[in-house]
Amino acid sequence: MKKLRFYFALWMAKAVRLAMRLLGRNASYLPGKLAVKLCPDFLAHIIPPKTVIAVTGTNGKTTVSNLLTSLLRKSDYTVANNALGSNIQGGVVSALLANATLSGRVKTDAAVLEVDERSSLLVYGDLKPDYLICTNVMRDSIKRNAHPGFIRYLLDKAIPAGTKLILNGDDLICAELAPQCADRTYFGIQAEAPAGAPDLEGLDLVYCPHCGGKLEAEYLRYDHIGRMRCPSCGNASPAPDFLVTEICREAGTVTIAQDGQPQTYKLLNDNIVNIYNQCCVVAVLSRLGLSPEKIAAGLDSVEIVKSRYDHVESGGLKITMQSAKGQNPDACARSFQYVADQPGENKAVFFLIDDKGDSQGSSENPCWVYDCDYSPLAHPSISQLVFSGPRCLDQQLRALIAGVPQEKIALWPSFQGGGHLVDTEKCRDIYILYDVYLDKEALSVKKTLLEKEAGK
Amino acid sequence: MTAEILFPEICGLYGDAYNGKYMAMACPQGDFHYTPFTEEPYFAEHPVDLLYIGAMTEDTQRRVLEKLRPLKARLEELIDAGVPILATGNASELFAREIDFITEGVKVQGLGIFDVMVKTDLFRRFNGKVLGDLDGMTVVGFKSQFSFLYGDNTDSYFLKCVRGVGLNPESKLEGLRKKNLICTQLLGPLLVLNPDFCVYFLSLAGMEAQLPYPQAARAAFDQRVKEFSDPKIQFGHNR
Repeated sequence: MKKLRFYFALWMAKAVRLAMRLLGRNASYLPGKLAVKLCPDFLAHIIPPKTVIAVTGTNGKTTVSNLLTSLLRKSDYTVANNALGSNIQGGVVSALLANATLSGRVKTDAAVLEVDERSSLLVYGDLKPDYLICTNVMRDSIKRNAHPGFIRYLLDKAIPAGTKLILNGDDLICAELAPQCADRTYFGIQAEAPAGAPDLEGLDLVYCPHCGGKLEAEYLRYDHIGRMRCPSCGNASPAPDFLVTEICREAGTVTIAQDGQPQTYKLLNDNIVNIYNQCCVVAVLSRLGLSPEKIAAGLDSVEIVKSRYDHVESGGLKITMQSAKGQNPDACARSFQYVADQPGENKAVFFLIDDKGDSQGSSENPCWVYDCDYSPLAHPSISQLVFSGPRCLDQQLRALIAGVPQEKIALWPSFQGGGHLVDTEKCRDIYILYDVYLDKEALSVKKTLLEKEAGK
Repeated sequence: MTAEILFPEICGLYGDAYNGKYMAMACPQGDFHYTPFTEEPYFAEHPVDLLYIGAMTEDTQRRVLEKLRPLKARLEELIDAGVPILATGNASELFAREIDFITEGVKVQGLGIFDVMVKTDLFRRFNGKVLGDLDGMTVVGFKSQFSFLYGDNTDSYFLKCVRGVGLNPESKLEGLRKKNLICTQLLGPLLVLNPDFCVYFLSLAGMEAQLPYPQAARAAFDQRVKEFSDPKIQFGHNR
């Protein structure tokens, strides 16, 4: 009876998918949602591919999923993935059923499934991943994710004991996930370690989760990402199995030592978060059995997807677009720091980081901007900040409190337009930081800037 | 003025940390003590004019309760003396009679300053807004919580909700108040978002606040009040 229900759900969902595809839709969520509605334990019945890889974590899971999918395909794997759609249960199911036969067997060699942390219990309850990658566990939308302790609680509860984990060893919250899993691989970055032992105040990990003693940081790159230890009980960040030992920006290379053996790869992006992502991808592919040479050849021919990062130059005007994931304090803080760290003077930053969903029929909770480090925006190399969107007044106040002079701030209270406010005479190095749901608006700003430059 | 910010390294989630920081900016002449969790609270042995504690994780909440429990009599002494104390987010729940952590199946005694109980369910998160009235002063704020409070606060509330919910979805009276102890589930940088309330709260400690960036703070506040007064704006939902 249960099996009949599954087949009915599968065929109905496939029919809906076909209809949606004929209408030109992605069909990346609704078919899966329907399948689960008709058969709540759909994932328990579908026959998964030989290798199921789940990618989760606060930041970087989309980049890692996309890179893994590309690189596996370049290595002749057939891969089911949910890159085009949702990372909650409906999206995961949609990705699998899209690649399933009418008997419910997923035809691909592997599935790379980006899974939202909040969906863990719904997904891993029925679908046991062979590998689970967690990029990091940071503060995210307080509305959904509350705090990292809550996310860890969910993941600990959801991850099956037999799953092989690939974890960020420089994130002690992430590194200690799911103690029930014995097979654990860690990745991390040793190169360019910041000097000095920082204060842990306000971080998500101040006291040892084992004994409650005050943790000490050898160094921190950002938030609680770095190397920590507890002097009371000896608990410490684990030694990474895959370790970035050298970052050469000039040559565009990164050296990753696997169990002590170094291998040089093309550096996909020099933002530290993307170096973590790249190291994570190398670790996964290596654990899947790909040789360092094969991984290097694959990395030579891929890029971070343009929806996350793009850079153009026109007549001396440089425009860098970077997704900054609104309501996510860490993702935004990393983007702010990235802008401040870039060489050059008279930079302008255009912000599209309000929540688009909350702009309709609601009023966004701006608490997260006070959880986010805005101090990089006060860097003297930044000459202009244009805050756009309905919360621009909140953004202005936050920036002022962080030390940004009032005269550097311009406001535009809409998601549409505002590009004309950028002082392209003075600022020739422009950064557009945008929430993932505001990519079209960000492209529109870029277009305005390029047209303004062309019309000079 | 001597002010104490309790356990800022772990009780400042969701931007709550900026309540303490903003007060310090508004009172540059104030003597602010930031007491880490590993140390005895300053108020235990010294006179203070103001206390603040912000939101924390549920696990931390249980540990903070154990830390403060031996100081209950001293806290009552400060409350009776009219010392302004502000607890935001789930720090407010410390002052309840009991916290029932439903998901984990654990009940913990609170400080019992108010005869209300807390029910915390990690699988039910409520997000909401409040347009509130504090004796004629408008206060706006946000809720993002796993818990509701149950009990009678008819004579001990912080705000009357013009819009939004109070202690629980059936209540229109937000928070708890006893003399100058204000416990509110509104979280985040409440004092930054509410310049009038910030001035008021600091005045309870005898301070004349010099708000940083008053025009920008006022503009953001006015916009929010306008939005919260718009009947088209939704006020709460579960996730």
